[in-house]
Amino acid sequence: MKEKTKYIFISIASLLTFILIWQLVSTTGIISARKLPDPVKLFETFLYKLTNKNPDGNVLGVHIWMSLKEALIGFFFGIVIGVPLGISMAWFDKFDKFFRPLFDLIKPIPPVGWVPIMITFFGIGIMSKVSVIFIAAFIPAVINSYSGIKQTKDVHKWVARTFGASNGQVLFTVAIPSAAPMIFTGARVALNGSWVSLVAAELIASTKGLGYMIQTARLVGRIDVVFVGVLVIGLFGAAMMEGLSFLERKFVKGGRRK
Amino acid sequence: MTNTLKISKNTRETWAYGFFGILVFLFMWQLACLYTNFGKIFPTPVYSLRAFLEAFIKPIGKYTLLGHIAISLKRVLIGYALSSVSGILIGLAMGHSKMIHAIIYPIFSIIRPIPGIAWIPLAILWIGIGEPTIYFIIFMGGFSQMVMNTMDGAQHVSKELIGVAKVLGARENQIFRKIVLPYCVPYIFTGLQTSLSTSWMAVLAAEMITAREGAGWLILAGMQTGRIENNVIGMISIGGVGLILASLLRDSERRLCRWSVRSR
Repeated sequence: MKEKTKYIFISIASLLTFILIWQLVSTTGIISARKLPDPVKLFETFLYKLTNKNPDGNVLGVHIWMSLKEALIGFFFGIVIGVPLGISMAWFDKFDKFFRPLFDLIKPIPPVGWVPIMITFFGIGIMSKVSVIFIAAFIPAVINSYSGIKQTKDVHKWVARTFGASNGQVLFTVAIPSAAPMIFTGARVALNGSWVSLVAAELIASTKGLGYMIQTARLVGRIDVVFVGVLVIGLFGAAMMEGLSFLERKFVKGGRRK
Repeated sequence: MTNTLKISKNTRETWAYGFFGILVFLFMWQLACLYTNFGKIFPTPVYSLRAFLEAFIKPIGKYTLLGHIAISLKRVLIGYALSSVSGILIGLAMGHSKMIHAIIYPIFSIIRPIPGIAWIPLAILWIGIGEPTIYFIIFMGGFSQMVMNTMDGAQHVSKELIGVAKVLGARENQIFRKIVLPYCVPYIFTGLQTSLSTSWMAVLAAEMITAREGAGWLILAGMQTGRIENNVIGMISIGGVGLILASLLRDSERRLCRWSVRSR
């Protein structure tokens, strides 16, 4: 226990030193504030951006809300369609044979690659972003629920059959619960991918959202706003991951160690 | 697995179904192009195929299709090599020594959740537009995954093995070389896999935003000039190259760590 507190102290000290060095380096001008704004300045910019619309026409809250909305809608549909598809591909042989080659074709295309096509289809509104994020979430959702079901132990299925379970019962009471941890891993990968492709889509073309905010700030040379945006993106990415882990702990029995 | 026997029996059926599935897809694509508004903006499969074949000889922008792909590949490999090497080193250090972990981890956990792509605007402001910026973006895309996976491996090295080695009088660096390092290899490969796919995605995004050549540029330029067929070829070739890279990596994993459970 004592050793643990020692390391926590070291961690805090290291973080503080890091921030202190950063502050010193940019206030003394070793690296000019135009390249590296100091932490105090960043905090001021953050507060400023909460209420002020410069330089991109919306306050920080609006951008965050817009990004979260797009990411979560796309993620939601990706999961809601991807997981059942993955499960049925793994459970029904014919289904698998029919969809597998098609799926293998689109699987290796990075979601970002879809951005231009979706923009051509839907314009630069919310729809194009949601559909890119949908693809980003859909693919890992299918892959993971597929392999989750495939990894169901044969013995478990046999036991269920011996006790007279129908095919459907085996699927719903044996295969799906035992695939749940794997499906959640898929959801985690999907959420991560959603957030990454959201940022990419917003950087390339949009009129609102965190990606748009940092892109505009770059164009007008407000590096402090870029920094704030990047940190906020990281913060919300981490927060959503935490939320998902919370759900997982609540719903999945057994599963991941730790 | 138990399915192996069944699969070899059904190979012909698998091929038939798969072929049928793709055929239905292409047919619907063609029909949609011919009879709905979809065709006004989207090329038919036949046209796309022709454009794809033509792109091998006729340059789009500055280079032919192969040229664009070669450029993207070069960028990915440089950025990926840099991020892998430094990620493995830092990950090993953090996983092996609690002291280094305590010092670096808090700082690392600030940058870890930031997607590589989100660094694009900062990288442009810092380094300007050019090759180093793209390398930097790819680097940031793969780096944190490399660190996390390697660290995970180094932290899970079995205590018994280290204990045995200590009892038999192994020195600290022997333990590191003979036990910790080999133990981490499967984890490192997992890291290499995921970081490869994010690197490939990062190069696309970076090229879309800052470059004038490469596969990402090809796709974006297809959109901007209204030549969607370029867009389609770009996506097909990116998917193809991504697939080849990933399976090369999986193959080398299978060769290098036969003992590991993780390599299927």
